[in-house]
Amino acid sequence: MSEEEKKMIGFKCKKCSRINYPKRARCLSCKGMEFEEVELGKECELVTYTQVYNPPAGYKGDPPLMLGIVKFPNGVLAMGQLAIDHPKDLKLSAKLRPIWGMLREIGGKEVFGFKFELAKKEQTSKLK
Amino acid sequence: MREVTIMGCGMTKFARPLPGSLMDIASEASLKAIEDAGAGDRDFDAVYFASMACGEFAHQTAAATALVDELALIPAPTHRIENGPASGASAIRDAFFGIASGMYDLVLVTGAEKMSTVSGAVATDLISTMLHHEAEYLHGATLPSFAAMLTRLYMKRYGLTENQLAAVAVKNHENGSKNPYAQLSHKKCTIEGVKDSIMIADPIRMYHCCPVSDGGASLVICSAEKARELGIKKPLIKIAGLGQATDAHTLQEREDPAVLKSVQLASQQAFKMAGLEPKDIDVAEVHDAFEILEIVESEDAGFFPKGEGGKAAEEGKTALDGELPINPSGGLKSRGHALGATGLAQAVELVWQLRGEAGERQVKDAKNAYALNFGGFGDNSVVTVLRRTD
Repeated sequence: MSEEEKKMIGFKCKKCSRINYPKRARCLSCKGMEFEEVELGKECELVTYTQVYNPPAGYKGDPPLMLGIVKFPNGVLAMGQLAIDHPKDLKLSAKLRPIWGMLREIGGKEVFGFKFELAKKEQTSKLK
Repeated sequence: MREVTIMGCGMTKFARPLPGSLMDIASEASLKAIEDAGAGDRDFDAVYFASMACGEFAHQTAAATALVDELALIPAPTHRIENGPASGASAIRDAFFGIASGMYDLVLVTGAEKMSTVSGAVATDLISTMLHHEAEYLHGATLPSFAAMLTRLYMKRYGLTENQLAAVAVKNHENGSKNPYAQLSHKKCTIEGVKDSIMIADPIRMYHCCPVSDGGASLVICSAEKARELGIKKPLIKIAGLGQATDAHTLQEREDPAVLKSVQLASQQAFKMAGLEPKDIDVAEVHDAFEILEIVESEDAGFFPKGEGGKAAEEGKTALDGELPINPSGGLKSRGHALGATGLAQAVELVWQLRGEAGERQVKDAKNAYALNFGGFGDNSVVTVLRRTD
């Protein structure tokens, strides 16, 4: 699967329908153990964010490191890095979309995962 | 269950760095508590040692065994208790169960951390390992980033102002300036000074955050029968209530990310066990690793209505002479936050307050005290209620 085709996946409990993200051994709501993989969505909304001027060891970008919590249309919330260059006008309801990229290094190894960029991209991502 | 009493307490000054090794710090705090309890040459039935990350920071594991050896308390059973930054309160809780069950009569509970061994970026990373590994830590999330995201959310919802947030820091530095054990006892600050301090994770500034600290604190705990038998002269402090609760490991999966449900549940349990209500508390130490937390915790503990914690701080209700003094020690903000030692340092401060030994920062006629120690970012809260019993 190409990087563009990677989808953010949630884990829908077959017993109570709660979408768990991230996955647990048992559903947080009902302890169900069978899940169906569902795509969280191609677009989400910013709930809260920050710019971290003292990032942890292993973060390779220039500070600040932008982090945020986003909400998908199905109600699932996720935390991740924000690949946004000029956050001055960033609003708490801004529309974002998940993109795949390098997050940081841990123990000298690169760690990849989803981060979020503006859905209407007027800027180039600095974190790609 | 048997009654459980705090018989002695002691702590080191918190500092960055504090001279000496992890064991030097742990044994200094322990010996002060043993001396305070008048238990000089006594053997202990058990020793509980709290440290969040002594292996990572001080390259020392099985540190509880090392402490028993250092203090010549062999063959006392011992182990380390790790519950993130709430390790200290968890150790008190475990010691309580050991005595309340009738298994032990006399135990030592010590917490210590030596964090100054690593750089700021490494300390930030080590502390961040307490977050959800895949959903938070791997993304570069840090504890200040969570405090920042909570602050932004809370400000939008409840209209918390920058001045109200700064008022908490000003109050805690003022209290800390009266505490010789406080790491930042030499530093006071003003509202403007807080608002002008450097940005850590917007909207969180340096004066909204606790420092990185070395430090140790210790309690000698015994059954009420044992205390009577030993003829303690100081006022007896009873562990009257305990509460502990967890919440979703990830911040965003909680029922409401702006509510600390684990604090609500742990507080309700502790008040019920003590037969008290929030209004009965005379003095409190809460876990202000970030000043937003003191505000939210003071609400979720039941001391103030939701959304009014910031206003309460601004109006002086939580000052030393206010209706409910919070963090007379200076809190994590000024006293410092030596992870595994913090829960014990909170208890030491409250024992001094309840005995009337808190000097310049003494809260008048304090009889009931509340401590909240926080593991993770609100996903594991430990509450202890203490009461002077004379």
